[in-house]
Amino acid sequence: MPQRAASDITIRVDDVRLSLGDDPPLEVLGGVDLLAVAGEVTAIIGPSGCGKSTLLDVIAGLLSPDSGSVHVDGRTALMPQRDALMPWRTLRDNVAAGALLTGVPKGEARARADRELTRVGLTGFGDHYPHALSGGMRQRGALARTLLADREVWLLDEPFGALDALTRGEMHRVLLAVRAQVAPTIVLVTHDIAEAVALADVVLVASPGPMHVIDRVRVRDLGADATAVRVLESLRAAGVAA
Amino acid sequence: MTTVPTVAPVADAPPTAGRRRIRWGQVAVGIALPLLLVVIWQVSASIIEPREWILPSPVTIARTGWEVRDRLWYHAQWTILITVLGFALAAVVGSAVAALIARSRIAGRLLYPWIIVSQTIPLVALAPLLVLWMPELGAMIVLAALMSVFPVIVAGVDGLRGTDPELMRAVRALGASRGWTWWHVRAPGALPRLFTGLRLAAVFSVTGAVVGELVASSRGLGALTRLSAGQFETPVTFAAVVVLALIGIAMFALVTLAEWLSLPYLRRGTRPGINRPTAEVSP
Repeated sequence: MPQRAASDITIRVDDVRLSLGDDPPLEVLGGVDLLAVAGEVTAIIGPSGCGKSTLLDVIAGLLSPDSGSVHVDGRTALMPQRDALMPWRTLRDNVAAGALLTGVPKGEARARADRELTRVGLTGFGDHYPHALSGGMRQRGALARTLLADREVWLLDEPFGALDALTRGEMHRVLLAVRAQVAPTIVLVTHDIAEAVALADVVLVASPGPMHVIDRVRVRDLGADATAVRVLESLRAAGVAA
Repeated sequence: MTTVPTVAPVADAPPTAGRRRIRWGQVAVGIALPLLLVVIWQVSASIIEPREWILPSPVTIARTGWEVRDRLWYHAQWTILITVLGFALAAVVGSAVAALIARSRIAGRLLYPWIIVSQTIPLVALAPLLVLWMPELGAMIVLAALMSVFPVIVAGVDGLRGTDPELMRAVRALGASRGWTWWHVRAPGALPRLFTGLRLAAVFSVTGAVVGELVASSRGLGALTRLSAGQFETPVTFAAVVVLALIGIAMFALVTLAEWLSLPYLRRGTRPGINRPTAEVSP
């Protein structure tokens, strides 16, 4: 692994282990190492249930590891697979929640929410409730909330996994465009090799649980196609892909 | 600067397009079925001619009800008062207990078994005791509340415990405090289920009021049914029962109206597939 200056690294996870449950405890993270460089997208790809979401919870501070260390240089926002919008609030108020939580007054938060909705292409939809919107539009809303929260680290937990292929492609374009403007450090969990290669600077391949990283590929070094092949081979070697 | 693909509303639906339509067919069925039963009852009574004090005809009940309307209203006021106050007490106490159980695992383990056991005690047996311990009105209100509090607690606990875990994850990752999460996520998310419990409680509170009046009161429609049946004024008894049913329906309707006003996101044009704005993606 190339040596990097400490200031470049936003997230450093060293040999993190975590077991969940009591009867008996299940080892979910089995010594995970991860470095995420400022402004880059790090994709984690691996089989279902291997502990990817748990790792994001650890990075977000929602779970404490049993051992190992986690250092995050900045505040986090987490975007789950489902949009996780509050159904009883309008889209504008859902987005504004991202700012309200940082102490911004309500009126200003709503004004900012409208600006972020415009940025993700949802102008005019602020007064609608989430149930009235399509899956893709709700995910755009969740993205706008993440934007408004103004966090340095975005943890995206299969955010587009529930969308159809066309909408997913559209969301990729939105994410890349937004990323180009605000340059957050992103950790993206996905099942989709093509998505990982299209969006990420670095792809980490996770083993079946208890999770640890079995391969790390920089997309720019290998190129998109070769990265996809390498990831697939790593997954096959781990007994995941057919 | 990078251009973000935009989504623009093509044509927002007109303001009335998503309004929930009144389904006149269902309304007609809802009215027609009871009406049919009343007609069958009336025709049967005309043919069989049972004694009035055993089974009066609907026309006799209606005529008698109109004749004794002042008496009915006198008793109905008492029943309505007990029902409304009993329901209010159940709503407040039930919501508070539900919050306590949902918030504290220890409180849940301590309280829930006793709450379930309390439902196995017949309220009829409690009524005379409550009248011994407190003024009549208070005893009746407590009975109505006891009868209706259980669905509020159960629905409230389920609602508070059923918060979308992904939503909780997202707001907690944004740094939401427990208090913020409680007031802005868990409590509003529990309201639809809580209202289901409140609708049941609204009807049960009428039953509770009547049970109390039947056993231990000289006033109220429950007492009137007991007294009138004892004096073979069967048409009056039936008229009182009809008024009780109307009170129950009114209570249910009022809670449904409160739900409609409190939860705008569950009504017109906000459900999936109704009045969904269409969008066009443009590069």
